[in-house]
Amino acid sequence: MTAPSGPAPAGAPAVRCRSLGVSFGAVRALHGVSLELAPGRIHALVGQNGAGKTTLAKVLGGLQVPDTGDVHIAGKEIPPGDVSAAKAAGLAMVHQHFSLPPSFTVAEALELTAARPGGRAVYRRGDLQQRWRDDVAEIGGTAALSTRIRDLPVEARQSLEIVRALATEASVLLLDEPTALLTPVATDALFERLRHLRDSGVTVLVVLHKLREVAAVADTVSVLRDGELVLGPAEMSEVSQGRLSDAIVGPADHADDEVGVRAIAHDQETLLELAGVSSGESAFEPGLSGVDLRVEAGEIVGVAGVEGNGQRSLVSVIAGLSPLSEGSIHIDGDEMTAAAPARRRMRGLRLVPFDRNTEGVSQSAPLWLNQSALRLIGREGLETLYPPRRGWVHSVHSPGSSDRGPRQMARLLNDWWQRRSPLISLRQYKWQATQAMDRWRVRYDNVTQPAESLSGGNIQRLILSRELDSGLEALVAAQPTRGLDFAATEFVRRSLRGLRDAGAGVLLISSDLDELFELSDRLLVMYGGQIVARFDGPYDRRAVGDAMTGAVR
Amino acid sequence: MEQILATTLRSAAPLVLVAMAGVFAFRAGIFHLGLEGLMIAGAFATVAVGDTTGSVELGVLAAIGVCLLLSALYWWVIGPLGANVIIAGLGLTSIGLGGTAYALGAIFDVRGSLFTDVVLPRPVTGSTSGAGVIISEHSIFVWITPVIVLAAWVVLRRSRFGLRLAAVGEYPFAARSAGVNPSMVRLQALLIGGALCALGGAELSVGALRNFTENMTNGRGFIAFVAVIFGAWHPIGAAFAGLFFGFADAIGIQSQINITERVPREFVLMIPFVLTIFAVWLGGLWRRRSLEAEAGYAELREPDF
Repeated sequence: MTAPSGPAPAGAPAVRCRSLGVSFGAVRALHGVSLELAPGRIHALVGQNGAGKTTLAKVLGGLQVPDTGDVHIAGKEIPPGDVSAAKAAGLAMVHQHFSLPPSFTVAEALELTAARPGGRAVYRRGDLQQRWRDDVAEIGGTAALSTRIRDLPVEARQSLEIVRALATEASVLLLDEPTALLTPVATDALFERLRHLRDSGVTVLVVLHKLREVAAVADTVSVLRDGELVLGPAEMSEVSQGRLSDAIVGPADHADDEVGVRAIAHDQETLLELAGVSSGESAFEPGLSGVDLRVEAGEIVGVAGVEGNGQRSLVSVIAGLSPLSEGSIHIDGDEMTAAAPARRRMRGLRLVPFDRNTEGVSQSAPLWLNQSALRLIGREGLETLYPPRRGWVHSVHSPGSSDRGPRQMARLLNDWWQRRSPLISLRQYKWQATQAMDRWRVRYDNVTQPAESLSGGNIQRLILSRELDSGLEALVAAQPTRGLDFAATEFVRRSLRGLRDAGAGVLLISSDLDELFELSDRLLVMYGGQIVARFDGPYDRRAVGDAMTGAVR
Repeated sequence: MEQILATTLRSAAPLVLVAMAGVFAFRAGIFHLGLEGLMIAGAFATVAVGDTTGSVELGVLAAIGVCLLLSALYWWVIGPLGANVIIAGLGLTSIGLGGTAYALGAIFDVRGSLFTDVVLPRPVTGSTSGAGVIISEHSIFVWITPVIVLAAWVVLRRSRFGLRLAAVGEYPFAARSAGVNPSMVRLQALLIGGALCALGGAELSVGALRNFTENMTNGRGFIAFVAVIFGAWHPIGAAFAGLFFGFADAIGIQSQINITERVPREFVLMIPFVLTIFAVWLGGLWRRRSLEAEAGYAELREPDF
């Protein structure tokens, strides 16, 4: 299982690990993983969310102590959980989440994390910047060394992570999902860089989740599934796409997730309408200026654009999280320009936010509370002001929904009690949350475990199970598939299409053009806080791309 | 006026020293509410050992030793044992206040105050009028306080150790991935802070006065902590905040001497605390903007650990 197939270069493997095992409580994150990576090549590691990729990367980098097994880098054994030893052996790591402290300047962050010998214990700012000038210049980085990390755009931050990793002449570069936050152009640039590194003798291990990216950059591929190595490392030329998908998804999981869809009730054809909306700029984005858009029932409107062109402002203005300076917003025919988020919600607006970990869930709160928080908070308002609409997801009280007579009476009585009583039944809420999460195939052990213990894909399912409830009319989905593996991505896309077919209006904001082309009935392009172009399908990739870069105004 | 300025320096010095301890802890991500306890333990140890041995130097060394031990204990409780930082800090304060009061009775058989002859050296003495009063009769610790503030600034803002400390406080994941052990860095920050609290306590008991009194810190540890926040956890900022609170204290003391006949005593005693609340309110207003900008960064906070 472990010998690299194909023509492996001579010498010790760059990375070798034997029977690694890691458990988090009852969850087995890694089990008996043995892996040997030949030097001077680009190795891809793939698998679904929660398959153990990040855990494996952390173990190799010394950030996670394995329960069993050992790790050798370039022939040297690394004591478990020793970051410094792994570094000394030549391993450099680029983390899935940025590892540079936001308030540090570029020079300070490099000094902290790169640990190049020769620095002085006490420094002067100018000297420190001089010390790192060449490294930043090398990547064509225009970032001033006195810029704070938090003020850098995402691409620059990513480049800086690589600068940091390579500052100590690493022989093994380990990248954990480096493309998750990058635009397609930046991804291509990153891959070009990786090829250069390989050609100069660096061994690269990169965790990816898009098969297209694996095919584009990898020499060999290894697949993790449920914490076990099920394939590889195998030469890319010897593995068919189909075999790879099978290895990733596994045998049982193919028949997946039919989501129950029901007709959406709405009063107006136009479910979401923005007229001449402008807003102040935020710290990271230009404000909106004169945005007109309209989402009708039964359509998906895509919003394309390079990140940072006002998409976040757009979402937060629609959600009612930040004020607008001009214009109006209507939801299902009602003016909601200044309405509080809760009122918009009552009117049928739902939101899948940009960042699922911080905006979508409370990391430390238990699953059931995350699932039912909005119902708990808005219990009275949601249900008495606007009686529950017949929605597209089954009401959790009526799994069969065809029962009559006494059971129906009992259910109505229970509904009424749930709504009117000043007390809440935690048991009831937990049960409802369980039902909803099971419908959406959230994988979890216990409803009381904190949300942070779920993988990214499962958190997104949790959010969907909450947002796509019976009251939904218009959905704003911001980057709903970012960072998800392809099974989860497919699931989310199917859900969006199902919503559309059921008569909901969906505003889909994405930086993935393929996704937008595939799903959108109409496409808008944002640039500098404005909508600069509108397209109807079939889409011309060229024209959309030009609009995204501001070439068309 | 000169008298008020002189009293300001004398009141501010222990506050600033302890505030520096707070800055180190705060930057390492520890909301250190045990400063009060460390300070009074330092004050007591100085008088107890100093008076017994007749040497103020031994007294100060003993204070540093005691505070280092207590700081290490605090670290052990909040680090390896995983206790709540704030509750453990308040516990440390209780230990300091209660322990010194108990030891006073148990060892010296005294209640209230223990007077001593040992005193910190005073480099400049003798002025009784004019501007000389401002700098006269201060203990050596008042004189070295600015040096310590400057040193704290260099260590925190211009040294590798300072970078590691800031990373641990702001974003432990960054520190870990840089091969830094956050727990050890926190211990170092707390030990430095312990030594500083010992100096602050010694200044209080044998610098400005010549006795140890039960509860003589009287909330100064907490005021020092407020100075840390008011000074935006920057050493220089915290030092100026400490100076300001010292000034408020001085006004309270001076007006107590001068105008007690006309104004109720309680009202005058209130002045430093009212000024403190006012200053904290101002500081909060001033920093709200930057905090809001910070919030936009939340998405990149570390997901685990």
